[in-house]
Amino acid sequence: MTRVRVGAVALACLLTVSLGGAAWAGLPTDQLKGAIDRVIKTLEDPSLKGEGKVIDRRQAVRKIANDIFDFTEIARRSMARHWQPLTDAQRTEFVGLFGDLLERSYISKIELYGGEKILYTNERVDGDFATVGTKIITKNGTEVPVDYKMLRKSDHWMIYDVNIEGVSLVSNYRTQFNKIIQTTSYNELVTKLRTKQDELLAEDAAQRKKATPTKN
Amino acid sequence: MKRSYIDLAVGVFVLIGILALGWLSVRLGKVEIWNTGGYTVTADFPSVGGLKDGSSVEIAGVEVGRVTRIALADYQARVFIAMRQGVKLQEDSIASIKTKGLIGEKYIRINPGGSEKIIPPNGKIREVEPPVDFEELLSKYIFGKV
Repeated sequence: MTRVRVGAVALACLLTVSLGGAAWAGLPTDQLKGAIDRVIKTLEDPSLKGEGKVIDRRQAVRKIANDIFDFTEIARRSMARHWQPLTDAQRTEFVGLFGDLLERSYISKIELYGGEKILYTNERVDGDFATVGTKIITKNGTEVPVDYKMLRKSDHWMIYDVNIEGVSLVSNYRTQFNKIIQTTSYNELVTKLRTKQDELLAEDAAQRKKATPTKN
Repeated sequence: MKRSYIDLAVGVFVLIGILALGWLSVRLGKVEIWNTGGYTVTADFPSVGGLKDGSSVEIAGVEVGRVTRIALADYQARVFIAMRQGVKLQEDSIASIKTKGLIGEKYIRINPGGSEKIIPPNGKIREVEPPVDFEELLSKYIFGKV
């Protein structure tokens, strides 16, 4: 069950990562749909396929992810009331670390995409907020509902939360961060995030080493 | 003279008895007769699964309000919550329907946010998490695999 959910999180991110590239104004669903098609295109691009292209492919996806995800908003909402006391420098640092964590945790999962179907079930717009409901249908027929919470920034809708099977990403991190900060301190949380980042960087390095021989 | 004295005493006792019963039913039924100065907020959930009128609303395990009414609005469940006076909810607070224990009663847990904007009386909690339907999840992953 956990693996299915991780896969769903990954797909959820996949569906949204390329939204940033879309400059036209329109309904949130339109922007989402355009985004999904573009990410799938990136993943199925023959020039970016294969073990040796792991780094290139990830960079391409990550670049789009930076445009579309409102990492500041996600970080602010996840930190909740611990956000106010932070200085501007601390905030910038935290957004960077948290963004890295999210990207790195999910990008490798996005690459597992293998032709799952995506349905757009509904859309609710309420002022500057919108919820786009989608369903991912896996190859064995399991439906995973994924809701995107979006916030309007002028003519651009950006994601600030993702709900998978009703479970919110922000709520999950908010509970974890709150626990860590209350039992230890903010500095401890930053240390934890850094350690995690180092681990993932080491994984990346290992991947790169693995990728090099296949190139030659 | 003596007789009317006994009548009076009985009357007083009956009155005290009725008042005690009244007090008991108010206490046991957790009815709020007097306005305690709280305020009402609403939250729209895709489903409320087993949440009832009178279910408790908690922050960090402390009861801060109660569900007063659940209605259908645009095919979603609109939950009316009577919040206690003095408890402020930030605009990005998340309301989740949770279960006490594995098969216990449902309640609403509010995960407070960090926004400077406070939800006003009769305002709406925008961020919600419906209850996780374990049966549905289970059947999905049992029958989904072909």
